[in-house]
Amino acid sequence: MILGDLLDAPVYADGGQLGFVVDVRLVLDGPVKGLRAAPRVVGLLVSARTGATFLGYERTDTNAPALVWRYLAWRHRGTFLVLWEDVVGVTGGAQRGTGDARVDLRPGFRRWSPALAPTGTGSRP
Amino acid sequence: MSPRVRPRPPVPADLPELPTSLRGAGRVLDARLHLLDRQILDVDDVPVTTLDDLLVLTADGGELTTGEQPAFVDQLLTGPVLATRVFGGRPPASRWVRIPWADVTDVGVAVTLGVRGEGLDATWVQRWLRDHVIARIPGGRHDPG
Repeated sequence: MILGDLLDAPVYADGGQLGFVVDVRLVLDGPVKGLRAAPRVVGLLVSARTGATFLGYERTDTNAPALVWRYLAWRHRGTFLVLWEDVVGVTGGAQRGTGDARVDLRPGFRRWSPALAPTGTGSRP
Repeated sequence: MSPRVRPRPPVPADLPELPTSLRGAGRVLDARLHLLDRQILDVDDVPVTTLDDLLVLTADGGELTTGEQPAFVDQLLTGPVLATRVFGGRPPASRWVRIPWADVTDVGVAVTLGVRGEGLDATWVQRWLRDHVIARIPGGRHDPG
């Protein structure tokens, strides 16, 4: 699967649309290939309002410039992380290669904070 | 406290943070924020291309349709994405130039490879232009000076 097909894809659960995939969270703890561990897909970042994202203000401690921060944090309010294990189906364009996928989550999935690092420990991974 | 210091984080406080047991102990990256559209450098820090997309497969190289199986990034993809970025869709699989993740040595502001760009398919246009166009220009076969 091409990862780009997931980006901007609508996300559905319990019969309704929750939002759009704005990013895919990875962690470098997969099988070691060459010098580095392969990135494992941890989950999807879902925004209820927009499929676009900009600079990641909604998932870091960065809060300057204040005007930009306030607008983008407001624009992406309600963004959450859903675990890859909670994805029950990636259908549509991701299989046909047309780039318009649809992501379905299992009933009772859990929402997690989109923060890149625990609050107060800095924004950089 | 300086008026420039604003301690309240923008991250929603009402959602629980993902515990390390679920997140994993490795370095955390967001694909769009930290990888896509970054420059790819070779082992000599020579620019090779840009990272346009990633190929995600199961641990044994199979295709993914659900989250039941763990998913891993297997290859970096680069290709002719300008038109598809503007008009939608994506290039067919045959047009992607693939760089295995095993060649990656560092991920920072740019993605650094442990191999020379000279031998990668991603640089064939540059090599063709060098050998067939630049080399025919008088003085084009040696460094200036």
